[in-house]
Amino acid sequence: MMRFSLSSDAVDTAGLHAALQHPGSGGFCAFEGWVRNSNDGREVDGLEYEAYAELALAEGERILDEAIARYGVTDARCVHRSGHLKVGELAVWVGVSAAHRDEAFRACRYIIDEIKHRLPIWKKEHYLTGESNWVACTHVYREHEHEHHHHHQHAVPFTPDYSRQLRLREVGEAGQVRLAAARVLVIGAGGLGCPVLSYLAGAGVGTLGIVDGDRLDASNLHRQTLYDARDIGERKVDLAARRIAALNPAVTVRTWTEPLHASNAVEVFGQFDLVVECTDDMRSRYLSSDAAVLSGTPLILASVYQYEGQLQVVAAQPDAPCLRCLWPQEPAPEAVSSCVQSGVLGPVPGVLGTMQAMEALKLLLGLPHPAGHALLLVNLLDFTIQHLPIDPAEGCALHGGCVAVARDALARSLGDDDIELSFERLEDAIAAGFRLIDLREPDEVAAEPLHELPAQHIPSAQVVARAGELPGGRILLICASGRRSGHAARLLRAQGLHQVHSLAGGLRASLRERESG
Amino acid sequence: MTVVNLQYYAQLREQAGVGSEQVSTAATSLRELYDELRVRRGFSLAADALKVAVNAQFSAWDRPLRDGDTIVFIPPVAGG
Repeated sequence: MMRFSLSSDAVDTAGLHAALQHPGSGGFCAFEGWVRNSNDGREVDGLEYEAYAELALAEGERILDEAIARYGVTDARCVHRSGHLKVGELAVWVGVSAAHRDEAFRACRYIIDEIKHRLPIWKKEHYLTGESNWVACTHVYREHEHEHHHHHQHAVPFTPDYSRQLRLREVGEAGQVRLAAARVLVIGAGGLGCPVLSYLAGAGVGTLGIVDGDRLDASNLHRQTLYDARDIGERKVDLAARRIAALNPAVTVRTWTEPLHASNAVEVFGQFDLVVECTDDMRSRYLSSDAAVLSGTPLILASVYQYEGQLQVVAAQPDAPCLRCLWPQEPAPEAVSSCVQSGVLGPVPGVLGTMQAMEALKLLLGLPHPAGHALLLVNLLDFTIQHLPIDPAEGCALHGGCVAVARDALARSLGDDDIELSFERLEDAIAAGFRLIDLREPDEVAAEPLHELPAQHIPSAQVVARAGELPGGRILLICASGRRSGHAARLLRAQGLHQVHSLAGGLRASLRERESG
Repeated sequence: MTVVNLQYYAQLREQAGVGSEQVSTAATSLRELYDELRVRRGFSLAADALKVAVNAQFSAWDRPLRDGDTIVFIPPVAGG
């Protein structure tokens, strides 16, 4: 008989109560956990429980068996809610019946303490401000640990053990305190982001922010080592937050489920001591460089291509170079390629991401660092690392300095903030008066035709030169992911074509809507 | 003619089909050399989209070539 259960619906407490009535029981004790309206001084709107159901059910059952054996009670039941809960709702119910009241109280207390401590259930709080956080239960006081006449092998609370790094003279207790106080934002929880998040969580960085708008795809698994096959289709930020809570419950995780944009990047960067840029998106990399310079937050950039990678630390201090000091303008997406188009071997982002984690720890701990600024070129086929010093005087300094350049770039992006438009169906865009321009290459169009929808085809690399062929009125540029169309729309806007827009997320997004709808 | 050693990264390596090569060239500056290679190797990126380094130092495109220079052309990459 199963005494423990998970429920996505309201709990039937009367039924549970009735199940625990027994002629031999002289007492009954119940505990109810409710959703309250605040945590850590923040107003909470509601929360969400996610359980690793298989494991939670087995572990819950084990806890109830332990309580019954340990305190000699007649029977016990527990139900834990999953899914979305509002303030005031019942989150967990524990009931025990026993011959005498003392063991009923104690068994009830044991069960709720162990449930909170051991069950693989994660709590996400939704705040009135619209933000949300995965909350890890860092340390739970367990009354039964203080009962001296019993010993129990499960009753050891988890405390992180940093002894292997504490032993390093350069780290020590003082370094550990610095890590615990540190707040690091990781943008992109993919091939680079996975090792960065793992190592920083393991090292005990106090707060990790994660930005990622993607859901896990089967094609990610060869390089994104935080995830497994059961996770496909889930949001990467949620998966990563859960893995971090499991790896080191002492870490506070904050998540952003949409990419940062020109209107919030500087403000978000300002909430962190250090940012690690791990996306595969050139636009995000330039935005991160600009936001780092303007907020004064150091940034660790890395990117990979097939068997090699690049790494650059933007110190975000006066006279320190930024990404634009090397490549002033964001290149067109079709010129830089991506893992999707060019392919990549899993360990390549693994190595570069691990190097980013190392750089992050060096910066946070104040470890020895080469003087000056450099671009690192890492080739994993022949194991060469080229260290190219960057002369800041040859970069943005020639155009007014990094701050002025970043401010201009951000202002341009803000002016273009109506470029991206979302449509569930392209038919809706046509009905709204948009003319469609398909920027994909001929082989892409052949593989995924738009069928009966009227669209003009101009490959993205030619669209600026062929701007004269564009129709009048409102134009919607489309491509597979929204990157080429977004870039082309910004270039056309810069030429005065103000009615040009880009399909946000590209055909992939509208296709997904169609499948899920 | 100047003899120089070239190293290619990322999409330039892919388009050239080799990671490095030694060439003998009549070009007098890095820009001329790259334009020459662009025709011969079919590179899609213009020089303005790249950084160039000579003997492990970033360099201006108008730098004259010297025998034995090791030249690296570096495109920005975005994979993650």
